[in-house]
Amino acid sequence: MKKVDFISGLAEELEIETTLESATNLKDLDEWDSMAAMVLIGYVSNEFGVTLNADDLNEITTVESLIERIGLDKFN
Amino acid sequence: MGAIITAIEYVYPENKVTNEDLGKIFPDYDFSKFEEKVGIKNRYWVDEETAFDLALKACKKLFQKYDKQEIDYILYCTQSPEYFLPTTACILQDKLGIKKNIGALDFNLGCSGYTYGVSLAKGLISSGQVKNVLLVTAETYSKYLHPKDRSNRSIFGDAATATIISYSEIDGIGEFLFGTDGSGYDKLIVKNGASRFSYSPDAPEIVYGTDNSYTDNHLYMNGPEVFNFTNEVVPNFTKEIIQINSKDIDNIDQFVFHQANAYMLNFMRKRLKIESDKFFIDLEDGGNTVSCTIPIALKKYSEFINSESTIIIVGFGVGLSWSGGLIKIKSKL
Repeated sequence: MKKVDFISGLAEELEIETTLESATNLKDLDEWDSMAAMVLIGYVSNEFGVTLNADDLNEITTVESLIERIGLDKFN
Repeated sequence: MGAIITAIEYVYPENKVTNEDLGKIFPDYDFSKFEEKVGIKNRYWVDEETAFDLALKACKKLFQKYDKQEIDYILYCTQSPEYFLPTTACILQDKLGIKKNIGALDFNLGCSGYTYGVSLAKGLISSGQVKNVLLVTAETYSKYLHPKDRSNRSIFGDAATATIISYSEIDGIGEFLFGTDGSGYDKLIVKNGASRFSYSPDAPEIVYGTDNSYTDNHLYMNGPEVFNFTNEVVPNFTKEIIQINSKDIDNIDQFVFHQANAYMLNFMRKRLKIESDKFFIDLEDGGNTVSCTIPIALKKYSEFINSESTIIIVGFGVGLSWSGGLIKIKSKL
């Protein structure tokens, strides 16, 4: 998947009203809460077959860090 | 020799708590999105009442159309017992005025409790030990929730249900399967107050997730881990249940899963490629009532059937524990 497509898909899933960029810290978003975390887990699981656990969610900050956790090899 | 579910009743506490009510307690949180995704508009919480009080009401409602003297076994599912001891089911026998020559026991399970209960009742009946089992689920998680635990207070509601499972010429209860993974025991837990750790008045407040708080005296749920467990285990488990009952997914009229949260249910529904009209989702009124969600859903679903319906029921959660099986319902319960 292209990073840009992932980011726009993520913004749609999380219903982000501002612009989402690689450097955006997900935790700083108004929309970030435990429900958004659940939606994020679901989206990543469906798109990449990657399971984000509770520790991953604690460690993830920016969109870029999320992409690294998913695995850079899954993006082109 | 078979068994069948013949009647179900349920009750909620009187105190209805809407998302607007919660919005006043948590003014910084937008509950409209919660309502849309998780599917809950209101839940009911007890004030002074106990789960047992709710159970009594549910049973009395059931006895308006069922002769209680026919009952010869009580299975009582709760994680909100009246006392450490005695067994709550024994008190229930007395308070309901049910005859004394019956069996009665409590079993401690959460969201997998109802499906376990149906399977246990089937076992008691098909082995010829009894004819009519009263299966009660009663839960008041609200008593375990920390006042500042917004996430769990949004999700969990209190309720009690009463089901009659009886001897039948037809097999109304098919094959059941079970799963257990105690390594996840601390993913959903009330740590203090029993044998391992005493209740501690000074238990420190712990912040978790996104601005939620609890102490070890309260209920804690690791939401992401429970969500992942469910999505990893339940879809394949459901396929196994269909298989062991020699059915195909197309032969099933309705799937009634534990009503945990609408987003998660839809997530699993899509993984299983089940159409939404064959997959029960209704948490709007009542929320996640733990072992009570499946009987409440069955009661609601049965209002709309006019011929025999083949249903897969699956419960999953605290333990970690899961179970499920096939049932048939002929008419309104």
